[in-house]
Amino acid sequence: MAAALIGGEAPPRTTRRRRWLPWLLLRLGGVVFVLWAVATLTFFAIRLIPGDPAEAILGGPGSQASAEALAQARADYGLDQPLILQYLRFLGRLVMGDLGRSYALHDSVLSVIGQNLGGTLLLAIMSLVVASLIALGLAAWSTRGGRIAAGISSVLEIVAAAVPHFWLAISLILLFSSILGWLPPVSVPGPVGLVLPVLTLALPLSGFLGQVMRESMLDAMASPFVLSARARGESENEVFWLHALRHAAIPAIGLAGWAFGALISGAVVVETIFARPGIGRSLLSAVQQRDVPLVVGVVIVVALAYMLVTTLTDLADRLIDPRLRRADR
Amino acid sequence: MKRIITPLIAIASIALLVAGCSSAAPAGSSTPVSGGTLVYATGDAEPTCLDPHVGGNYPQALVATQYLESLVSKNKKGDIIPWLATKWSEAKDGLSWDFTLRDNVKFTDGTALTANAVAANVAHLQNPATASSTGYLALAKVTGVTSVDEHTARITLSSPDSSLLDSFSQTWLAIESPTALKRSQDVNCESPVGTGPFIVKKWDRQQSVTLVRNNDYNSPPADAAHKGKAYLSSIEWRFLPDSASRYAALQAGTVDVIDNVQPDTIVAAKNSKGIQQIDAPRPGASNRIELNSSIAPFDDERVREAFIRSANVNDAVKSLFFGTAKRSYSALSSVEALGVSEPKLFGYDQKAAAQLLDEAGWTQKDANGYRVKDGKTLELDFPVSTNQSIPAEQSLFEQLQATTKEAGFKVNLHPLDLSSWYAALGKNQYNLVSAPYTKVGPDVLNILFNSAGTKPAPSGYFANHAQVKDPALDALLVKAGQVSDPNERASLYKKAQGIVLGGYYILPLYDQQNHYLLRSDVKGLRALPTVSTPTLYDTWLQH
Repeated sequence: MAAALIGGEAPPRTTRRRRWLPWLLLRLGGVVFVLWAVATLTFFAIRLIPGDPAEAILGGPGSQASAEALAQARADYGLDQPLILQYLRFLGRLVMGDLGRSYALHDSVLSVIGQNLGGTLLLAIMSLVVASLIALGLAAWSTRGGRIAAGISSVLEIVAAAVPHFWLAISLILLFSSILGWLPPVSVPGPVGLVLPVLTLALPLSGFLGQVMRESMLDAMASPFVLSARARGESENEVFWLHALRHAAIPAIGLAGWAFGALISGAVVVETIFARPGIGRSLLSAVQQRDVPLVVGVVIVVALAYMLVTTLTDLADRLIDPRLRRADR
Repeated sequence: MKRIITPLIAIASIALLVAGCSSAAPAGSSTPVSGGTLVYATGDAEPTCLDPHVGGNYPQALVATQYLESLVSKNKKGDIIPWLATKWSEAKDGLSWDFTLRDNVKFTDGTALTANAVAANVAHLQNPATASSTGYLALAKVTGVTSVDEHTARITLSSPDSSLLDSFSQTWLAIESPTALKRSQDVNCESPVGTGPFIVKKWDRQQSVTLVRNNDYNSPPADAAHKGKAYLSSIEWRFLPDSASRYAALQAGTVDVIDNVQPDTIVAAKNSKGIQQIDAPRPGASNRIELNSSIAPFDDERVREAFIRSANVNDAVKSLFFGTAKRSYSALSSVEALGVSEPKLFGYDQKAAAQLLDEAGWTQKDANGYRVKDGKTLELDFPVSTNQSIPAEQSLFEQLQATTKEAGFKVNLHPLDLSSWYAALGKNQYNLVSAPYTKVGPDVLNILFNSAGTKPAPSGYFANHAQVKDPALDALLVKAGQVSDPNERASLYKKAQGIVLGGYYILPLYDQQNHYLLRSDVKGLRALPTVSTPTLYDTWLQH
């Protein structure tokens, strides 16, 4: 992929080190461009929705704030200036790493995000791990368990992938809290409070991952290298865990960037239903309150995290798949 | 006329405590036990500031009721009763009021409650930098506060204010420590200091506010069930925005009390053992549909009446609220003593509606059955605030859309988020609208129906959505806001309501719904008769 980016003939091995610099610069430039585009789009998009940001500062729309209070708030936050000036000042501050102050929370956006990012990341990572385990289990069972297992797991995957988060969350609460009484219906401190939110996010994701993994596992199990491994006398377990699994992991890791995005958007729903603190919930209330700085801040941080994840998955692909490394040369 | 109200003797009775619970608490030990933590889960938005002087909305009042107190309160009958003030009197000219304060009360930071504290609070509410809206509006006639002596505050007015006591009974005008108010607004929002039975200990954003008992507490309102400090040692005030998980948390025992309970949940809870219900309608206006009389077709009273006659509200309320909401025929909440109810005006009658429309010139019908006049269809735009109208209410509007169609009205429902909804109102692009308004006392009529309320504030906000412009009504409302004689006041407000209801400016639906569910081991919880927020002062846990 890197070769495609810089183009040209594959250079001899001695110049390989120098090729990393333009690759890195290009990649960094891409990151900066995407961040700028995301910040600009969000900045203007949220202003297109009706509603006065000065009222957001004074406790929300329809706050019946007095004329003096509104004027004061506009002056304090520079909202009395032309939009283009506001935008340039916003960009200027952004370059310095200053995301501004939240209108509604009266706190710096960075500190609001700092307080809430950890909870969301923990939720997303746990969900990704659990989803991968479920998907792997399903894929393994369906490739090795015969036709019936394959049928059942493929139905399970489709159902899981199709279920919306809010419906799944309420169903899980109904089953595990209201009926069985095993788990708390809302977030409580400690790992027990994480179980239902993680399951809600992980189940639909595992459906997607499982479908992809099963396909490539079946491919792998039917491919010549598995045949030759068997011919070498490797046991069925060795064949599966050493060869087929590695093959199946590649498309799943390619999906991880997308999965991360899906998890963050799912976090908006899950954090609200289970009353967990996190940036998903912050984002929702910020949009409702026209809290421009917080919306832009959260969107920028999520975009940054997304690009980080896709870069890491590119790297992981290269580590797992030797063919990609060879193609570089 | 000088009126002196002597302090009422506290009516301490368990009967008062359970009054308001539609399903009585099961029999058990009735001796209160001290200690324990109560978990309260609110479905209202998380406040952005815990000091209700700043802004001033219902979510703030809910939590602030636990740590802030007002000069006066109300009993269940609607009479003003002593709280931080033991007595009060109005000057003969009505231009000042003297409030005598309790002389042994301290704020939880050690500052004493004095006349200067009242002055500092009024100044704080009127300072534009505080950005108060509710409190600021309530103090519109107040010109200043002076101390007559250490414990007597004199409030001076620009014109007599018959609603001053109602105003000061609201949590949005609660009295805070003047020492604490001197801190920066950010700090004061984080930890406001009052005289209440609990103290704000910490606030974990998006999660909860932790309140601990004030062990030196000595200032309950006159209708409290006990004296001295609260029974609960602490309260965890949680923010649980989703109504299904809130009810599940109550069932599972993760939380003890929930608010914002939806009709289907109330019905489910009725059949579930171990859960009690409190129905405490909010004061101020009833929930109603307002008919914009400033633009066609509702500039014609006959068309307004035709719409109201063709709307089958009763059947819709019955089927969508499962008997949890009672139909209202009044502009005011049923908790307002001066509310006037006129069921006769709002009878469902399609024939009468058709006749009225014929008279008004809407004689033709198009292919879809909608009335037409001069080539124009009888169309009505109805922006619906999805933040303020609960799902059952939104369904109700859909049912009314169907029944008014029979008469030939084409109602266009526009579900909007709060900001877009206010924008639609600001542009006068609506024929129908429904907006709640919570305020203690009948003065809410002056806000909603005085022609002054049709002029948008600088923020674009205006309260007179029906756009009633009637000089006779204005005069009645202004006078009612000034007279001190209770009988004269009542008769003026009655006449004013007659004009509003008789003019078909509004279609009353029901009280502003305010239901609480609690586990049966929660005892002694009641809603304050002022703004209907629950007070946990008398509450104890039976274990």
